[in-house]
Amino acid sequence: MSFFELLQESLPLLLQGLGLTLWLAFISLVIAMILGILASLAGLSKHAPLRALNSAFVAIIRGTPLLVQAYFIYFGITGVLGIRMSAFTAGVIALSLNAGGYLSEIFRGGIQAVDPGQNEAARSLGLSRGQTMRRIILPQAIRICIPSVVNQWCITIKDTSIICVIGLAELVRQGSQIIARTYRPFEVWIMVGVLFFIVIWLLTLLARIVERKVSLG
Amino acid sequence: MAKVEIRDLHKSFGDNEVLRGINCNIEAGEVVCIIGPSGSGKSTFLRCINCLEEPTSGTITVDGHVMDANSPDIDSYREDIGMVFQQFNLFPHLSVMDNITIAPTMRKKMDMAQATELGRKLLASVGLEEKADAFPRSLSGGQKQRVAIARALAMQPGLMLFDEPTSALDPEMVGEVLDVMRHLARDGMTMAIVTHEMGFAKSVADRVLFIDEGIIAEEGTPDQIFSNPQNPRTKSFLDKVLEA
Repeated sequence: MSFFELLQESLPLLLQGLGLTLWLAFISLVIAMILGILASLAGLSKHAPLRALNSAFVAIIRGTPLLVQAYFIYFGITGVLGIRMSAFTAGVIALSLNAGGYLSEIFRGGIQAVDPGQNEAARSLGLSRGQTMRRIILPQAIRICIPSVVNQWCITIKDTSIICVIGLAELVRQGSQIIARTYRPFEVWIMVGVLFFIVIWLLTLLARIVERKVSLG
Repeated sequence: MAKVEIRDLHKSFGDNEVLRGINCNIEAGEVVCIIGPSGSGKSTFLRCINCLEEPTSGTITVDGHVMDANSPDIDSYREDIGMVFQQFNLFPHLSVMDNITIAPTMRKKMDMAQATELGRKLLASVGLEEKADAFPRSLSGGQKQRVAIARALAMQPGLMLFDEPTSALDPEMVGEVLDVMRHLARDGMTMAIVTHEMGFAKSVADRVLFIDEGIIAEEGTPDQIFSNPQNPRTKSFLDKVLEA
């Protein structure tokens, strides 16, 4: 089979896998962003129990491999609780918790990097803590965080490949199935790699445009 | 009842006792300038008035309300106390107009058209009408500080606090900011101003407080303080700043 025949045969399946990869990454990252912001606020709260909760969450996420987290959620939790969960749901839970943990630290750093004078000016005008956070601190913190957040998005998009271990037919799993049939690992892994590369490259390009648009410098 | 009443105000940062028992009233319509060596506690004193710093002990009342950072009403008390900072602290992600309208629209539920109208009036009063759509980064220091004053005035406060408003400015921009403050004083605003501008204090203040080592070491009319200081520490401080 020539390379082009192989490409022709593989591409539809690989694109199908890519679609699932992107969908998985997208849903997980939307949840992870919300989780990350809430967790970072908990980490900066004046209430000690909330701070402790955030520290424990971040420590567990950082301290264990994503592979173990995914296995634990898909096989461990479903086994003990006797519930059924689709591999996709388990994948979303694992990825969003994982990315959420890292994003919470990124947001916490960003919030703390905003000049304390901004908080003082807003509070002196009568804005409440919550109003100050929403309208003054977070918009600036998120701008500071953009490079690190995009970095985490790239990592999470690629981390979807780990979710193939629980049987989700995303890009990497599609690739290995094609290889099992055709025994052409060299070409197929290049195709898989190139597809990931293009997605990440486009995302980075977009991020750079956004960054320039919203820059305050 | 005075506009501001301060009783036995103490404030410590760790072991460092910055304010060591301050008693003072500010009457409605009065312009009080606070002078003193750096590190004497002047800014801390000012920041206690709107509870940006929480006093270690003592009480502060503004319009009869006890200022307490944990009071559920602290935000509404602060609405009535404008503050201007040395570093301006404009919101860099908002246009000049949005800097001014954000508080009235969020806190007083003023509609946008009304707030914008108010914003235009205030910008005109500080001479910056044409900067409504500009962002803070494009303004000079003096312009930033005038916008910051307009922003504070947008809440129509009954009391304005100025924390060294001209100390971060290039010398040629000091005058334009002091002019705006002079107008405010003339219009009857109650003002407490921490400043190193002795000429301004002399001409605008109704009363001058000299704070040294955390207490009011001397107070009086500008004439008394600048021409005939009684406390040797006031004398030596004025000798130093006036010869410079």
